[in-house]
Amino acid sequence: MSDAYVSLKNLTLAYGKTVVVPDLNLDVRKGELIALLGPSGCGKTTAMRSIAGLMAPKSGTISIDGVDITRTPANKRGIGLVFQSYALFPHLSVFENVAFGLRLKKLPKAKIASMVEQGLQTVGLAHLSDRKPEDMSGGQQQRLSLARSLVMEPKVLLLDEPLSNLDARLRLEMRNELQRLQRDTGITMIFVTHDQAEALALADRIVLMKDGIVEQLGTPDELYNAPNSKFAADFFGFENIFEIEGSEIVGRTGRLTVLIDAKEGYLAWRPSAITIGSGPHQGTISSMAFAGELREYIIEAPLGQIKVTTPSSTPPFDIGSPIAFDLAIDKARHLSKNGEET
Amino acid sequence: MYSKWTTRLIIGLTLTFLIGPFFIIILAGLSDGEFMTFPPDGISLRWYAKVFTVESFRDSFKLSMFLAIFGTIAALILGVPAAYAISRYKIPYGETIKTIVAAPIIVPGIIVGLALLRYLVVPLNFTVTLALFMAHTALILPYAVRVVSSSMNNLRSDMEEAAVLLGCSRLGAFTRVVLPNIQSGVLAAFILGFVTSFNQVPVSLFLSGPGVRTLPIDMLSYMEITYDPSVAALSALLALLSVVIVFMAEKFLGFSRYV
Amino acid sequence: MFQNNREGLALALPAAIFTALFFLLPVGFLLSEAFKVDGMWSMQGYFDFAIKPLNQTVFLRTLKLGFLVALTSAIIGYACAFSIVNLEGKSRGRVFGLVVLPLMISPVARTYAWIVILGRTGIVNDAILGLGLSDTPIRILFTETAVFLGLLQLFLPLMIISLVSAMENLPKDVIPAARVLGANWLQVFTKVILPLTKDGLVMGGTLVFTGSLTAYITPAILGGSKVLMLETLLYQRVNVANDFVSAGIIATILIIMSFSANLLLKRIAKARS
Repeated sequence: MSDAYVSLKNLTLAYGKTVVVPDLNLDVRKGELIALLGPSGCGKTTAMRSIAGLMAPKSGTISIDGVDITRTPANKRGIGLVFQSYALFPHLSVFENVAFGLRLKKLPKAKIASMVEQGLQTVGLAHLSDRKPEDMSGGQQQRLSLARSLVMEPKVLLLDEPLSNLDARLRLEMRNELQRLQRDTGITMIFVTHDQAEALALADRIVLMKDGIVEQLGTPDELYNAPNSKFAADFFGFENIFEIEGSEIVGRTGRLTVLIDAKEGYLAWRPSAITIGSGPHQGTISSMAFAGELREYIIEAPLGQIKVTTPSSTPPFDIGSPIAFDLAIDKARHLSKNGEET
Repeated sequence: MYSKWTTRLIIGLTLTFLIGPFFIIILAGLSDGEFMTFPPDGISLRWYAKVFTVESFRDSFKLSMFLAIFGTIAALILGVPAAYAISRYKIPYGETIKTIVAAPIIVPGIIVGLALLRYLVVPLNFTVTLALFMAHTALILPYAVRVVSSSMNNLRSDMEEAAVLLGCSRLGAFTRVVLPNIQSGVLAAFILGFVTSFNQVPVSLFLSGPGVRTLPIDMLSYMEITYDPSVAALSALLALLSVVIVFMAEKFLGFSRYV
Repeated sequence: MFQNNREGLALALPAAIFTALFFLLPVGFLLSEAFKVDGMWSMQGYFDFAIKPLNQTVFLRTLKLGFLVALTSAIIGYACAFSIVNLEGKSRGRVFGLVVLPLMISPVARTYAWIVILGRTGIVNDAILGLGLSDTPIRILFTETAVFLGLLQLFLPLMIISLVSAMENLPKDVIPAARVLGANWLQVFTKVILPLTKDGLVMGGTLVFTGSLTAYITPAILGGSKVLMLETLLYQRVNVANDFVSAGIIATILIIMSFSANLLLKRIAKARS
């Protein structure tokens, strides 16, 4: 890709002899907000740490804006990192935390003061500059950590699970704030998360990783609506996945004949894509949970357990009662075995 | 639970056993009589005053102070980097290094003193003072490493990484971020080291020469020839010195959690 | 960032080299002396040492006193630690501080106090004479009792500290739970408290035991040459007879005992984590 700003080529990362990321290739465009998404242990954090320079790759190169920085020490890379724990300096005031990096640059005092002031303003903490980090709420600490990195005007800003330590309301607020910051500053951001909702809401593009390998790369729309592997589908909410064998699909306790051209791979349905109350198949409702807008049913069918949701505005079905349901082929996603979509 | 009074009684009796004797020597030193008795024979400060007139005490006090202060500083200079390395790195032969550094805790002091006398002072012409300094440093080192390590372990290493990403060198990250945050641990280690060294007897038993004696050794030999209340007075003064130091340390650092 | 382990080694090595060179090496030389008789390598020194009745007495006495002090401090320690844990926050901290305090005070001063208490004209004898229990003062100083009391006072705090921290880690409400299930206090202690705090007991016991074995000042001041223990015997052998073989042997015994105790402690610490 010619417009790559951050570029990882054949990156191999290992802790001692344990290879965590075998061969990573990734191009990030300038001004892009990209998410490294995956379950814990998938290598996303390791990849991020190697970009920051906190971990030396075993082989491969990392370059920013065409300059190879693979061997550049972390303190000379000009990359910002907002730690999951925030990693604020407990012995310094809010002001001094933000001024920390600027003082190391030996900028004039007045300049530092105005930059810190501005930085705190950007994240809405200007009125707290004399406080100690420990006297702040989690959300404020997060902003402070952000401001501390932003005043350094980094080429790339890395964020490690930026929303994971916040409660639901703050998470929404912070999400909007990060998007606004990115729009205003045009800074390139790479963030690591295990939460698909977070990645979908924030990122321009998502890198879905598994066992150190990029499973799928694409826009949130592509990943959500068109996952191309069993792993990706499962990760993005296709909770009913059945393997195809000939003209049947196989569940845990039985099989079902379906009309489909493909002879192998998987068929996957979201819980909301399955109709209940009518249809050719029979099952029994074994449990129901009320989840606000939706009702979540578990249906015991000859095929095995099936998870279905219905809008809670429709009348509920009784637990224990027999129920008809429909696994419509046109609502299923077909996944091939090797991960490529057919 | 058992009753409040049983609780109080048990604690009261134990504390009387542990601390009561100090009150007794403080009072015994206040006696006006010629011999050690309790309750004291009248009240005077003359035995407390006498302690300060004993010539040799002044020299031995100076030596003990010197060893306690500089021995502890030397132990910290060696111990802080070691504690840092132990808590942050996976060092090759890490367990061996830890065992070596911790060894002085399990070697009885009297043996150390004798060994250093036989193999450093006599054949290598180390002065007794230098040998004492070495022994005290090695003795305090394990405490310094332990106390500093425990406060280092409470400090997340990502703070240093944050400092480096903001432009610090590794050393800079240590001095600007780690050191300010383990300050009280280092101070606690200093106090613990100081008190340990100052009160140390067995190591110094064999390491003493003409005019070179630590205060506790000097006291021991003074006790052998004196039986007037000045010995009690001196003991009381020493105990008070420790109490004051520990009290201050507890007040400012919450010292007892480091012991 | 902390993957360059050579860097770590460079930071840790000076401390290790210092200790090895100026501490372990001389001590090692000293221990090896026990195997040299008249310049020849031999175990003869050990045999000669072992058959002397005085050495046997002192060795057994040291073990006996160490054991008794550890046992007594365990009994007092449980009662005291349980009481401390039952106190409210602020007074708990204060009492704990007072228990720790004696550890910081010069053992010379701590031991000397017992002379005032146990001496011929001391408090105890005053009381005995005053109550008419005896016509002449009883000798308490320079007996095993005096050494025992001195050691107990010196090391009891270590036991209490260990037991308090063990009891603080007891799961909440296990004791009321056991009571509700019908256990009497003895059963609560033997079936709940003891098994759950045994690590603390072993830790405290080892500290007290080895502390007592290797104490010098207390047997020196309160026992004198009448109640010799291993350390005072070592001092005497060197000072009176220049007997470095005996010194080396006693040193070896002491180190082996401390080392085994330390090993035990480490194993417990590891099992716990």
